[in-house]
Amino acid sequence: MASKTKKVLRVCRNCHHVVDGEACVTCGSSNLSEDWAGYLYIVDPKHSKIAEKMNIDMPGRYALKVR
Amino acid sequence: MTDAEEIKTTIYAMKTTAKQERTVVDNIVKALEDHDEIRVVAVMAPDELKGYVLIESPDSIARIEQLREMVPNARAVVKGEMAFSEIEHFLVPKPVVTGIDEGTIVELIAGPFKGEKAVVKRVDTSKEEITVELYESMVPIPITVRGDNVRVIDKTHE
Ligand SMILES: [Zn+2]
Repeated sequence: MASKTKKVLRVCRNCHHVVDGEACVTCGSSNLSEDWAGYLYIVDPKHSKIAEKMNIDMPGRYALKVR
Repeated sequence: MTDAEEIKTTIYAMKTTAKQERTVVDNIVKALEDHDEIRVVAVMAPDELKGYVLIESPDSIARIEQLREMVPNARAVVKGEMAFSEIEHFLVPKPVVTGIDEGTIVELIAGPFKGEKAVVKRVDTSKEEITVELYESMVPIPITVRGDNVRVIDKTHE
């Protein structure tokens, strides 16, 4: 139980969004992964070159890579 | 896309306490909520870059220094700006297979089966590949194709 209390963040395989519940709030996918790398916070997607390169148009927390 | 005003952003590197990179990213975003005068458009912590976070901002380094003072576990701002090309390799775009799931009906738009309709059987987002079975074939043969070699025809397969 002790090892389970530290929540592992899961990421949507479809859109790379960090997901809190059982399904992605952005795209509705429940195809989630605990195996991801790199953490990205997009604050202002309209003005971010990083967001543009990543094809992200919604603010929020993302993974750089999802397996 | 074109309606957004063009602003030039810069990439700054900020040194953090070891293993606190992701926490620092969250803390930066939290600090920004109370400080409208500091503009940051994105923050990231690539796993390969231990002990640093990267900040994309249109502001001067003085503003980033100001930000650093408000963020626990943020230790120093690296002097000088980074070129976007220096950080580009950390960015893996979302897979091209986005929006394609098992059961999606697609049309192959390249390769020997160009023009054929197929049902998606498996999606491998990491390799950006999908496995499909040709719709009208008597013997279903799985074919693996690149995600951008198909066009979605129908998302709700009955
Ligand atoms: Zn999603």
